Amino acid sequence: MNTSVTATLTRVLLDRAIELYRDNPRAMAMLRRQRARFDEPLRLAVIGPSRSGKSTVVRALSASGRSLRDITPVDTTAVEPDAAPREIRARCADADAVLCLLRRPRDTELDLARAVHEHPVAQATPINTVAVLSRADELGGGRADAVISARQIARRARREPELRALCQDVVAVAGQAANAGRTLNATEFGALRTLASEPTDRLEAHLLSVQRFTSTQVSLPVDAGTRERLLDRLGLFGVRLAVTLVRQGNDTQPTLAAQLAQRSGLAELRETIDVLFVTRAEILKARAAMLALDVLLRMEPRTGSDALLIELDRAVAGAHEFQELRLAASLLADPGLLPDGLREEAIRLIGEHGTEPEKRLGLHAPSGTQVQQALRDALRRWRLVAHSPELGSAAHSAALVVLRSIETIATGGAPAMPAYVR
Amino acid sequence: MAPPWLGILDDTIQACVTHNRQDLAQPLWERRARLLEPTLRILVLGESGQGKSQLINALVNAPVCAVGDDETTRVPAIVEYADTPNAAMIADNPDARGAIEGGAESGRRLPVPIESVTNRANHDAATPGSDVVHARIGLPRGLLRAGLVLVDTPPASTQRLSSVLSEVLCADAVLMATDATSDLSANERELLERVTRICPTVLVALTKIDIVPGWQDVAERTRARLAEDGLPATVVPVSATLRMAAARGGDRVLNAESGFEELVRRLRHDWLERSDELNQRSVAALSEVTVTRLINGLREEHARTQRGGTGDAVTRWHAAGREIEQLQRVSARGQTLLADAVADLTSDLEFDLRDRTRRILREVDEYFEEADPSRTWPEFEEWLEDQLTEVAETNFGWLFERFDWIAHQLARQIAPHRPDLVPDVAAGDPPLEHANGLRRPNVEKFSVGQKLFVGMRGSYSGLLMFGLATTVAGMPLINPISLGAGVAFGLKSVFEERGSRLKRRQTVAKTAAHRHVDDFYLACNKESRDTARRLQRMLRDRYTEYAEQRRAEITASAKELKKAVDIETAEKNRRTKEISTALESLGTLRQRVRNLNDQVWASIVPAPRELTA
Repeated sequence: MNTSVTATLTRVLLDRAIELYRDNPRAMAMLRRQRARFDEPLRLAVIGPSRSGKSTVVRALSASGRSLRDITPVDTTAVEPDAAPREIRARCADADAVLCLLRRPRDTELDLARAVHEHPVAQATPINTVAVLSRADELGGGRADAVISARQIARRARREPELRALCQDVVAVAGQAANAGRTLNATEFGALRTLASEPTDRLEAHLLSVQRFTSTQVSLPVDAGTRERLLDRLGLFGVRLAVTLVRQGNDTQPTLAAQLAQRSGLAELRETIDVLFVTRAEILKARAAMLALDVLLRMEPRTGSDALLIELDRAVAGAHEFQELRLAASLLADPGLLPDGLREEAIRLIGEHGTEPEKRLGLHAPSGTQVQQALRDALRRWRLVAHSPELGSAAHSAALVVLRSIETIATGGAPAMPAYVR
Repeated sequence: MAPPWLGILDDTIQACVTHNRQDLAQPLWERRARLLEPTLRILVLGESGQGKSQLINALVNAPVCAVGDDETTRVPAIVEYADTPNAAMIADNPDARGAIEGGAESGRRLPVPIESVTNRANHDAATPGSDVVHARIGLPRGLLRAGLVLVDTPPASTQRLSSVLSEVLCADAVLMATDATSDLSANERELLERVTRICPTVLVALTKIDIVPGWQDVAERTRARLAEDGLPATVVPVSATLRMAAARGGDRVLNAESGFEELVRRLRHDWLERSDELNQRSVAALSEVTVTRLINGLREEHARTQRGGTGDAVTRWHAAGREIEQLQRVSARGQTLLADAVADLTSDLEFDLRDRTRRILREVDEYFEEADPSRTWPEFEEWLEDQLTEVAETNFGWLFERFDWIAHQLARQIAPHRPDLVPDVAAGDPPLEHANGLRRPNVEKFSVGQKLFVGMRGSYSGLLMFGLATTVAGMPLINPISLGAGVAFGLKSVFEERGSRLKRRQTVAKTAAHRHVDDFYLACNKESRDTARRLQRMLRDRYTEYAEQRRAEITASAKELKKAVDIETAEKNRRTKEISTALESLGTLRQRVRNLNDQVWASIVPAPRELTA
């Protein structure tokens, strides 16, 4: 990944601040930590009220392959929805991105997400939060299709402007089942296979409720202890899903695990984290560093800190990556901002589907000339949009952001550094 | 015979009407109508996604209420008994009162197939401009036939709390759904507490126990929580999924497992069969709340009347008193000021007049040192007249000027807002006609005969003197020398006589002038003093009159105010007395309500059904 201007700028600003606060050990420690974080994996805070499945989600994410290299999930203790915003912010202070776990997309639970964004810099850039409906299985009453139903709820919630202003995406995941998929041992897998071989209607009757499933008085080929362990690992939803999956032919452990991850929504969550957080790790780290720097400069002013604060403000306002993200947010919140065809293209060009040039241009394995051609076309089209008398001023400024994105692709992702940095 | 609670309810309504609290009476009326109906209306409450609609479906064993994983129910659905299944959407009538109260007559009925009624109602309600207020469903079920009416409600979020509570007023009992996947939330506990205050018959259904492994613990925790909060609600764990499955397979064991057997038993035995107790309980609770609110309202008013003792009228009355005092003070000060100013003025004027006349006299004296009055008198007379006229004019002009100033000064002091009170003294009276005219002094003439006689007399002594002297030298008595001396002596005495006569004339003229000026001074001074006194009197009268008038005005308005204050005080006293009487009677009513309440609890507490269940 090539280094973004904003990230470089943030490093420069951090170095300047280190110069300035040389005699303040506390500030120095903080600044050095921020500086060092650029070379570390992205820190992802997982917050939510008690029993919302934080540890489960953290475990599920940790156990899931490639994300692990780029992300350090930080499990936090429970946050009550009515906790003071200070406390919530304090918990997220050390993180670059936040997963906000909710049981339901409801008002009281959203307060948590709201509290994360109370800092001015954070408000300018609500780009680091994803809401997770973490107990998707319960939302759907534990039916085998619970996650599909929960996904629909998430999709509806995503369209609500209030939620949009707080987080970038809403994802449903059945944490328990997702987590279990990876870690099933052979005995448990065997027990699942045995259960799946039972006649359907007989098994159905026992899967009606947890009480029935773990009851010692029923005659199932798997003993009650194992059944209880299965229930503990997978939940009733997980057991139902797993049995159905095995019956459908996923009768090896890896395929079952993959299917479970897929069906429990974990794959989607991972994908979202990848697109929204991992590919933008640098900009998120820059954002976290800017937040910390802003707090420091405001709380402990000294000669020279004013000038630095002005430069920081300029960096925040001028960071094109932030502008892209803001435009993405407003495009999603207000679909009428740009005409239909243009809207899709704008979303692609500003990197919502991935920040690599070919993804932005919507090309598959393009040749150099194809890229040049696509760039020229896009430039011409968006210049027209930026001056089109048929569109309002909001559309014009959106087009200007898109134009700058195109220019950034054309110059290889590195527009000229602002003069004051050198 | 009317049950005892009806009397109390009627008395409470009566009290509300007496105290003009239609807002409090209205729900009581609704409740009264509801209580007199034979059916038992159960409101199913709960936050979103707790399984309210599913609970009703499971109770009546039919999927009549739409269920979904997201917020589904948007309008209330009323499930009641009917011989044949039927359903309708009820659209709002402008004159229909509440959303879900009242019978079928309170809105337009739109018949809809029973399978889709709630779906359609929810869908319609979500589209803007819709007037669907609720759905009604009739089902032939034994439980409903016994008189049960179930009401499915939209999620009770914090924003909807007040409308939820108003709906509770129209219900006989509340069934609250909370799912077993989580403990009671703070919002749910608050909701439960507020609901219990107006409808004490509450049952908590712990739903979705089929998917929660440790639901027994959750139920225990919920019970403990409720006990801790002092909420007298029973907790019944249920699973609608199991109940539905049991109904499909006709499985009695599964039905028992679902918890619905217990729920239905409680609905029948605790509620339906003891509806009178339920009524009593709900009347006791509602009356208690209402009477307490009435009492608080009256207490507040009482405190307000006590505190706000000095009304506007009283303040104004005091202000009027102060104004009169002020007026008296100002007008006394004004009179003193006037007297002082006039005394100063008279003394100043006198001095001025004296000074000016003396200056004239000095000039007169100087003039007559030289001039011969017999020749210059007419011009002198004219000059003197001019001088004196000028003095009089100046002096009087000054007088009027000073009076004008005094008048303005006074006006500023006494009546600053009445510039019209200042008299127009400047256009004062004309200067006086002073003295009786200057009398020409008697000037004796020095005639030729007299001159001859005086010359002769002088020459005689000269002639004799020198004649006698020359006789010694032998000359005759009449000789040239003596003749010359005689002529010389004669001439000298004529000259001397003329000089002395001039002196005498001048003296006489001076004396005449002095006397005239003195007369003038006397007359002018008198006139000036008189004028000053006249003006002073005029000013005094004018301002005294003004002060009198003001005082009369203020006194009159003060009298009015006093009357108003008296009336107000009397009114307040009356109201205070009224409030105390009302408080007393309300206190009695509250005591009756409490007695009723105690009775109810006495009838319930000895048999804690939770233990027997």
